[in-house]
Amino acid sequence: MIVNFWGHEFKVNIILGCIGGFLIAIVSSMFGFGGGPFMTPLMAVGLGLPMYLVVGSSLLAIAFNTVMGSMRHYQFGNFDFTFFLIMFIPAILAGFVAPQIAKRISPLWVKRVAVVGLLILAFQLLGIF
Amino acid sequence: MNRRNFIVSFAIAVAATLFMLWQDGAFAAKPEAATSPSDVGAVQQPTETIAAVTAQIDRVSVDNGGTITVTGTAPVGKSVYLEIWADEKVRASRFDADPDPKTGQRPYILYMTEGMPSYYKVIVPKDKKDAIEAEKKQGGKWSVSKLLKDTGADAIYSAPTTIKIDRYQAALMGSIIGSRGDLLPAMDEKENARRSMQLLKARFRSVGNIMSPDMEVNPDGSFKAVVEVREGLAPGKYTVVAAVDKTTKSRPLTFENKIAFPTVYMSNAGTSINIFWPALLTFAVTTFGVLMGAGGGFILNPLLVSIWPLPHTVVAGTVMPTVLFSQGSGIYNYSKIHFINWKLGATIGCAMLAGGFIGPKLTEMVTLDQYKFVFGWILIILASLMAWQTTPGYLAKNKKEQAILKEFQKRAKECSAQKDQCGGKI
Repeated sequence: MIVNFWGHEFKVNIILGCIGGFLIAIVSSMFGFGGGPFMTPLMAVGLGLPMYLVVGSSLLAIAFNTVMGSMRHYQFGNFDFTFFLIMFIPAILAGFVAPQIAKRISPLWVKRVAVVGLLILAFQLLGIF
Repeated sequence: MNRRNFIVSFAIAVAATLFMLWQDGAFAAKPEAATSPSDVGAVQQPTETIAAVTAQIDRVSVDNGGTITVTGTAPVGKSVYLEIWADEKVRASRFDADPDPKTGQRPYILYMTEGMPSYYKVIVPKDKKDAIEAEKKQGGKWSVSKLLKDTGADAIYSAPTTIKIDRYQAALMGSIIGSRGDLLPAMDEKENARRSMQLLKARFRSVGNIMSPDMEVNPDGSFKAVVEVREGLAPGKYTVVAAVDKTTKSRPLTFENKIAFPTVYMSNAGTSINIFWPALLTFAVTTFGVLMGAGGGFILNPLLVSIWPLPHTVVAGTVMPTVLFSQGSGIYNYSKIHFINWKLGATIGCAMLAGGFIGPKLTEMVTLDQYKFVFGWILIILASLMAWQTTPGYLAKNKKEQAILKEFQKRAKECSAQKDQCGGKI
């Protein structure tokens, strides 16, 4: 598939994109997260697209998954409205606060902290400690 | 142009969604309402009550947990058990894929009930403590039926036996299109009781949650049990019955669990929670998530299921929609400056639509332990992705990319400010 974006043409291996997107969607909707951190590398590295094309388009693709996943979870009775409100309000607040903090700290360090944090959490979930 | 593309892709998405839901029979009748509360209570009034067990309770209400003391008398020399359950009902499910010990075939049947008491506990005599400890040592492999048998509590196990359990025969094809499978005929009483035990484990997770050895029985037949009702349970009426066997039991005693704001009850999760802590956790995690350029759901979910007794299905199903709005506003902002390629996004989006249809089905087929295990590996993959993004080679490349990204964003903003179509470049 050839896409045209801001005057540049990109050749996209859409089969790989769709298979990857499909698998990411299954896992992320099964476990209840967005899938952004997997989708961006898939499009940037797997499909070899530049970042400025990936940021917006991957968000659109993920939103399809989130809408569908949310509907299905609702259908299976997995949605708790009170719980939703408890999390929704802080999540919106975070959307305003985080950009303010982001101006002051280096994204590189955020990533490094995240790596350590994610590994600790992962080992805990796997029961290693 | 941009708006038309959006409307077209949105219409495709909605049509596909509706079609799949229709295929799945979502518009067909919902499963019948859960067992009416009286069903469980009815068992508790045996036809011929032998007034051999008497019991009193020291208080009629507790505030988000507390201690209740039950005293009474029973026939001399018998073991006395207390059965306590909440009126409030929750859902419980278990996917049976264990090979049959005789035939070796895997049944692939999903057992599901909407009528599980949100709290169920058996208090057994103190001398049964060893049996409980032995079962605790089994780790994740403990079973409710063995626990009941070893402590002698199988003789009085009654409240959950009559909950209405639906069985669905899962098929590979059905799971792929995301259906629960065919509803099988109802089970007989004995089978229902047996399956209710497995659902008890699926719901309450640990030995300590459904049984404790707090019953003191004296040689003269009098008994006393000090029961710790933990925090975070459903509000409403709780029923206590003292019993020595299925027919010899006391009349039902009741007490009420009261909760007050900021503690709220989440009816689907079956848990009362002080909203402050999960709200704070969500705030911290999502803030950090935004900083690292993601939603944060993959940190929030495992923490929520680890810290609070929340079912993983409810956590997954409730965290997911919370990011909808931030995604929506992100898409809106990018679309304003023409920064989304609708063709690419919607094409991959359609593939993700299919994936999102299947995923939530799988959530209820895994146990909490499997959920945590797979999540652990997902986080390891994610951590390595992130680690790779901090390597010098990636950073050098990324710096260039970011510069181009900024340049394009600037141009895009200028264009939309001038309400110019920018020579039809998009």
